[in-house]
This record gives sequence, structure tokens and C-alpha cells, in this order.
Amino acid sequence: MSPIPRDTLGLALRPRHYPDFFARPTAVDYVEVISENFLGPAPLPRERLLRARAKGPVVLHGVGLNLLGHAPLDEAYLDALCRLADLIDAPFVTDHLCWTGAHGLSHHDLLPVPFVPELVALAAERAAYVQRRLGRPFGVENLSSYVDFTRSTMTEWEFVAAVVREADCGLLLDVNNVFVSSRNHGFDPLDYLRAMDFSRVLQVHVAGHSREPDGTLVDTHDHPVTDDVWALYARAWELGGPFPTLLEWDEKIPPLDEVLAVLARARTMREGLSTPRSPSNPSAEDRVRISFTNPTHDAKNPTLR
Amino acid sequence: MSAPPTPDWLADFQHRFGAVLREPLDRATGTLTARVVRYAPDAVREIRDAANASAAARLAVYNRQYWFRLFSVLQTAYPLTTHLLGAWRFNAYAQAFLNAHPPRTWTLDDVPEGFDDALPALLGDDPARALLTDAARLDAHWRVLFHAPDVTPFRPGAAEAARLPDSRLVLSPRVRLWCERHALLALRPQLRADRETPHAAPPAHAAPAWFALLAEPHGIRAVPLEPREGALLTLLARHPVRDALAQLEAETPAAERAALPAQTQRWLAQSVARGFWVGLADTPPNPTLTE
Repeated sequence: MSPIPRDTLGLALRPRHYPDFFARPTAVDYVEVISENFLGPAPLPRERLLRARAKGPVVLHGVGLNLLGHAPLDEAYLDALCRLADLIDAPFVTDHLCWTGAHGLSHHDLLPVPFVPELVALAAERAAYVQRRLGRPFGVENLSSYVDFTRSTMTEWEFVAAVVREADCGLLLDVNNVFVSSRNHGFDPLDYLRAMDFSRVLQVHVAGHSREPDGTLVDTHDHPVTDDVWALYARAWELGGPFPTLLEWDEKIPPLDEVLAVLARARTMREGLSTPRSPSNPSAEDRVRISFTNPTHDAKNPTLR
Repeated sequence: MSAPPTPDWLADFQHRFGAVLREPLDRATGTLTARVVRYAPDAVREIRDAANASAAARLAVYNRQYWFRLFSVLQTAYPLTTHLLGAWRFNAYAQAFLNAHPPRTWTLDDVPEGFDDALPALLGDDPARALLTDAARLDAHWRVLFHAPDVTPFRPGAAEAARLPDSRLVLSPRVRLWCERHALLALRPQLRADRETPHAAPPAHAAPAWFALLAEPHGIRAVPLEPREGALLTLLARHPVRDALAQLEAETPAAERAALPAQTQRWLAQSVARGFWVGLADTPPNPTLTE
């Protein structure tokens, strides 16, 4: 598989944009698709995925892995995900550091857990297992969250950093999610960013959010990226750039040109910002060669789940 | 790396949280409202109050998201039904359906499965029950055809031709036979973005109209069928060919029977040429494949 160069811009490709995206020369360096939309047998989505792949790299972003569900990981789901990643030779695959279902039910939402060491161990073991099964880099994404559990004994950033470190896997750092959670829970988002190991960041997501009447911020992906989130993105770039940057827009999606204009702001604002060059934050050239320990296809090993 | 155990409390925690998510929204005020007083106290006690919102109010964000996401999935899967009912009424039936059939798989594509079967009972004695039931069935056909896998059409050779009279033809998963009493197919491409206002009922056909719905590489196409042709294809999908032809003949007025052999030969050949079938079977059919 070919890694994605660090200083690149990507778009979360959604059906609303298919006509324009396929009709024009490619305007982004890579696209990301929702894995679950292409795991079924329907030929039409698969054909569109292959058309997208013919235009450039495609990374897979899942919402159904259920990494922190109480039940074991779904091996049939993982089989299908591995086949899909192989089909398009995905540079990397990501999903969320969350649970999505329990007790035989699927809630189809990205649900939080208390931040405790025993769940670090569980998430890390499972993320490492998924990465071995995929045979390619796998990353977990931080959530937007609306609740703070009394059971938590760690901060969210300690939890996320520990999972990624112990799993030896990648991180999909969503700066909008960091911002949303920081406002909802009253922490400094810079504390969060400073705790991240940017050498493990596979990509950074930016997106828009909404505000509830009581002031709670909700990760709706239905607005332009706010200035506050762009400012946080700039700080992330200064702390750990360069990294691939991808814009998500999932509701009230405007025409492709408008979305691309929002994405272009990432490039504009990065101009003039410095990036660190240190052993813990490798240069752009070094980052292209980042890989994770032994990412080879393993046979299923149920004892590891 | 050794496998850490799943913490004992995790399953209980996720059970409590899941129950909060699935708590039905209240419709009494004319808007969909979370009934936070019905959340289990144990679930609320696990959450810290925020500066601007109580623990229950924060849980309500997830409760609303759960329902709104699933309403959106069902509305998207059943666009005709949504427009004929209007989103508000549709959501009431969707909520009742989802209470009885909460999602169980990782794919949203499975969420709408069975709503068309459940709707007639949910509608009760609604005067538009027949129309709405047909609309839901047509929506369900559309959804199934969109997800239908590629298949190799049946091209009978000499051996199959010999087996044909005593075998049943297996309808392709990329084909559905559709008979409608109202102009639902014509309405489908005219649907507005606005789902809130119920759409007027489409006009009734003078006589039931038959179509074959075909999943093609770039979409779904409706091919009109002659009424007796539609009846024949439906019988062929349900019975051995010999029995299907006999039943069609019995249902045909005597004055029209003379033309029937040539017609059936033509319709059968045409259906094979169009790729309506994938093979022969001696087993009973799947009753959901045809109307």
C-alpha cells in the first residue's frame, strides 16, 4: 500500500457529491468513505467506490466496529472490512474509540465510555488485533461527547493517548471533536492536543458542529467549520504538523465547490505557520515512512479478542 | 499481548445506557421531546451534571440522536410512504416499529427491514390503509433492488428445457413484479424535498397496472407489463411451470383462451431474454419476491 503524503488535503466523499466529483478532475489529494456503505453486496456502491479509487487514494472510515462493546468483536464484520481494504488498497483504516451496540442491539451512534485504565487495556488489545487483521495501519478517532462519567479516573486525552500507545496503532485526531468536548466538559483543548503523539496521527478531521439551546455543542457535521475550530487546527499544526487533513460534511451538504472552498482554508491558514522538527515530531519527509509494528495479515485469533 | 478481560461492569453500564437511548420520545407537545424523567436513576447517577445542563439533559442528547437518526434512515428507505403520511405521522409509526424491532446489526441498511410488513397493523382502520400499504411495499422493493447482488441470468439449455414443465422458475433478486392500484410509480420521481406536509394521494388506475422493476447498473427501471403477463410471471415464480400455465388458463375468460398459448410463449421467452430468472427450483418459492 502507498502511504498518503503528510501535507495533503482530503474530502469525506458523500453521494451528494458523486456527480461533480466523478465529472471533474480530482480536486483533492485523497478521499475518505464510510466503510459500512460499501461492505454489502450491492454492486452500485461498489462500482462508485472503484471509480473513486481510480481517481486517487481512498481511506476507509468506519462507524460500526464497536471497539468498546462488552461483546467480542464481530469477526464477520472484520472479514468484510479486510476484503474491502484490500480491494481498494486503503492506505489506512480508521474507526472510533467508542461502543456502538450491546446485548445484541446496535444503537448506530458513537457512544462514550468512562475513562478508566481497564478500558485502555481492552481498547488497545482490540485495536492492535484489528490492525493485525487488516495488515495495514489502523487508527482510532476521538469522539465528541456530551456526558462525563463519574466512574472516570483519567482525562479523555490521557485515555486516548494511552490506547494509541499501548495498541501501537494510529490516531485519527478530530479537532472539531476536541473542541466540542472541551466546551461541553470545560477543559482546555490545548491540554488535549499537547498530550497527543503526533507521530501517530494518520490524519486530522475538521468539521462543523451545532449548538443546542442550553449551550451544549453537538457534532452534527452540518455547518461550516467554525473559526474556533480552525484556530485549534492551527495550534495542532504548530504542535505536530504536517499531517493529512480531511473535511467531513454529512448533513445539509452544500455543493462541492463550497465544500472545497472550506477545505482550502486549511491550506491557506497553514501558510506561515511553523511545524516542529524533533525526534518525537518527525519531519514531513520522515512521516511518509511511518508504519506500525508488524502490520501483517494474521489469521483470526479468537484468544486475542 | 495477553487478552485483558472485559470488565464486569461494562455490560451492565451499556445495558443502562442503551435503555436511555431507546426511551421513546414524547409527541404530546407537538414536538419530539425526550422524557428525561423516565431515565433509570442508576443511568443518570453515572453522569456528572454540567455547568449548563443536568446529567439527564446531557443524556437526552443521545436519546434524541438515536431516534432522529433512525427516523431519518426509515424516511429515506420509505420515501413514498413518508410523503403520503407526512413526516410527523410517519415518525409515529416508525417509533412503534423500532420499539418492537430495535436495530440488531452494524448496517443501517437492515434498520428498515420489515417496516412494510408491520405498517398495515400499525395503520389500523386508516381509510388510506390500502394505498399506504402499497406505497410501503413499493418502497421496500426499491430498497431491496438497490442492494441486490449481481447474478447470472438463466439461459435454459436442452436439459433445463426438459425439466421446465415440472420445475419452478426462480425470480432474479434483481427483479420484482409489481402490481399497483394507484399511480405510485409515477409519483416517486415527483417527490418534493419537504417531507412535513402530507402529499395528496395519487390517482387510482382504471385497472390494476403491472410492472417489472429491474435493478440496472445505474438505477432501477420500471418496465410495463400486460396484466395477464404480470399474472403469468407471478404464477411462474410461485408454481411449477405446468401448474402456472394451467392456473392462468383457468383464470382466463373462455373467449380469450385461444390466444393464450402464443401469448404465454412470447411472454415467457421475453422474460428469459430480459434476465428475469436465475434458474429452476423444485422447492417452494420465497413469497416476498412477488406481489
